[in-house]
Amino acid sequence: MDIGDLKKNSDLNFEVAKAKKNALERLRSRQLMAYNERLFRADANTINLVSTLKQHSQDFYVLDANDNPCHVTDPEEFLNRLIERNQESLNTYHQLHKDLANKRAR
Amino acid sequence: MGTGVLLYCFDTPEVKYHKLAERCVRHIKKYLKLDITVVTNMDTFKRFSHMGMINYKLVENKTGNVRPYRGKMIAWHNIERALAFEHSPYDTTILMDCDYFVFSDNLLELCHTEFDMLIHDKIHDLSCERVIAGKDESTLPLVWATVTLFRKTEKARTIFSMIKHVQKYYGHYRNLYRIKYQNYRNDYAFAIALHQLHLGEFIPTPMAMLGIDIDVIDYDGSGIKYRHGKQVNFIHGQDVHIMDKEWCDG
Repeated sequence: MDIGDLKKNSDLNFEVAKAKKNALERLRSRQLMAYNERLFRADANTINLVSTLKQHSQDFYVLDANDNPCHVTDPEEFLNRLIERNQESLNTYHQLHKDLANKRAR
Repeated sequence: MGTGVLLYCFDTPEVKYHKLAERCVRHIKKYLKLDITVVTNMDTFKRFSHMGMINYKLVENKTGNVRPYRGKMIAWHNIERALAFEHSPYDTTILMDCDYFVFSDNLLELCHTEFDMLIHDKIHDLSCERVIAGKDESTLPLVWATVTLFRKTEKARTIFSMIKHVQKYYGHYRNLYRIKYQNYRNDYAFAIALHQLHLGEFIPTPMAMLGIDIDVIDYDGSGIKYRHGKQVNFIHGQDVHIMDKEWCDG
């Protein structure tokens, strides 16, 4: 492989890395979710926290993305909404990730 | 009066802001489906194409401020934004620059939360080359006034009163916070007001931005294609602040 090919390869990988970074930012924006007038990230941390607390109580408090307390009285509904939003954003990201992998393989 | 979007739009000799605002309005209608009020002056108002049901508030804007843009200094009519609390007819307002384009309904989610003022304190440079946020430009934690959500509450009123005060004595505050730029910037006025008052909350995710040297080369209503140097990239379904002021002119 000559330097021209290496450069082409490097440029492509740089482009792919940028697209991935931008898509991840888009995913994080999409994961922001309002619940009970508070703002949450529908990410793995929040899902795990709510899932764990739900096993102990049906009524608890959690901190939102701006460190404000939120009273959760229906953890089942909250968890479902978190998972739905999480999977919606990840599904979109997965599509893009596949496209990028194809681009790389070409 | 519910939730709505407030835009400020004043054409300058160099930039046809009304063209940006027309496109911005189309996006708000498509993705947010909210009421819109445009604060503008008579000269700019006459240039607007028909955009359907939107409200206009005509004012006589102050002039004299300037900004750097692609190697020159150009006029910048950005002083009126400090009056947004008085100008907004809405209980919950999304105050937005007319060069911010929504490609999703993410902002609606923020409207359903409790806040007095909600603003970005982080940005994501879509070129990934960190060309926007310069280092050591002030001693202040910077916020970005491009998208500001506020409610008609006493705390929000206090913040806007402070912004007006900062604007009036901007030279003093600019020195105090060692702000590098001599022109008046709302980003700094908002940041100073929030810093002085210890109020406001921040949008947890950064605002996506395309810097001043990035050209928008294509657009299809759900995303844009842009060029930075020799590199071409695209975004889709992501709200973005575009600093290229000429892409809607054609």
